[in-house]
Amino acid sequence: MAFREKIHWVTLVTMAAAFGWYFLVYPWQIADSPAGVWATAGLLVPVTIAIIVAMTVATAFLAIRNRAEVDIKEDERDRSFHMRGTHYAYYPLVVGIWINIFLIFWGISQAQQLNMMIATLVVAELVRIGTQLYLYRRGY
Amino acid sequence: MASLPFTNDIRTLRFLAGEMTQGELGDRVGVTRQTIAAIEQGKYSPSLEVAFRIARCFDKPLEAVFQWTDGNS
Repeated sequence: MAFREKIHWVTLVTMAAAFGWYFLVYPWQIADSPAGVWATAGLLVPVTIAIIVAMTVATAFLAIRNRAEVDIKEDERDRSFHMRGTHYAYYPLVVGIWINIFLIFWGISQAQQLNMMIATLVVAELVRIGTQLYLYRRGY
Repeated sequence: MASLPFTNDIRTLRFLAGEMTQGELGDRVGVTRQTIAAIEQGKYSPSLEVAFRIARCFDKPLEAVFQWTDGNS
């Protein structure tokens, strides 16, 4: 497996684990109150730190083990897969935004809107990275 | 997943070119070893530019490297 593909796997697993934890431990019982916004802020701090630390450690470890591939630049196949991943990620992003717009008119709280936006971003990112990994494995 | 409508003889041509490795061909063409492997296996359709660069590496016309196979013109 190529270095770039391994990095994508690390990103996918790290994001799924970090935000999976976020949505599991979020205090949904206060999501209707202003305190729910601060709960989001309080949880996003450790999630962000965990992602940065995990990605840094994993990337350094993989770079040491794959020294020859570290400096290899993206080629047309990498760029093509990235573009297709971004294209597929656009759909959940649009759907999530539209759901959020309707829910705002419905009168949901700020914390729920915030969580809806975070979920939309996370799903879009997972689709993007997942698509790239699928294309690396299965091909064009 | 549908396969590509063309095959290629890159592996044979590499062998005939002094057993050139995928990495060496990739360096000469400007793509990674993994991309050359994917092209050889029919898992990636290269751009026209890369296809021409591969053919030029072997000093062959494009049709000697890539062959259209699905019967449609």
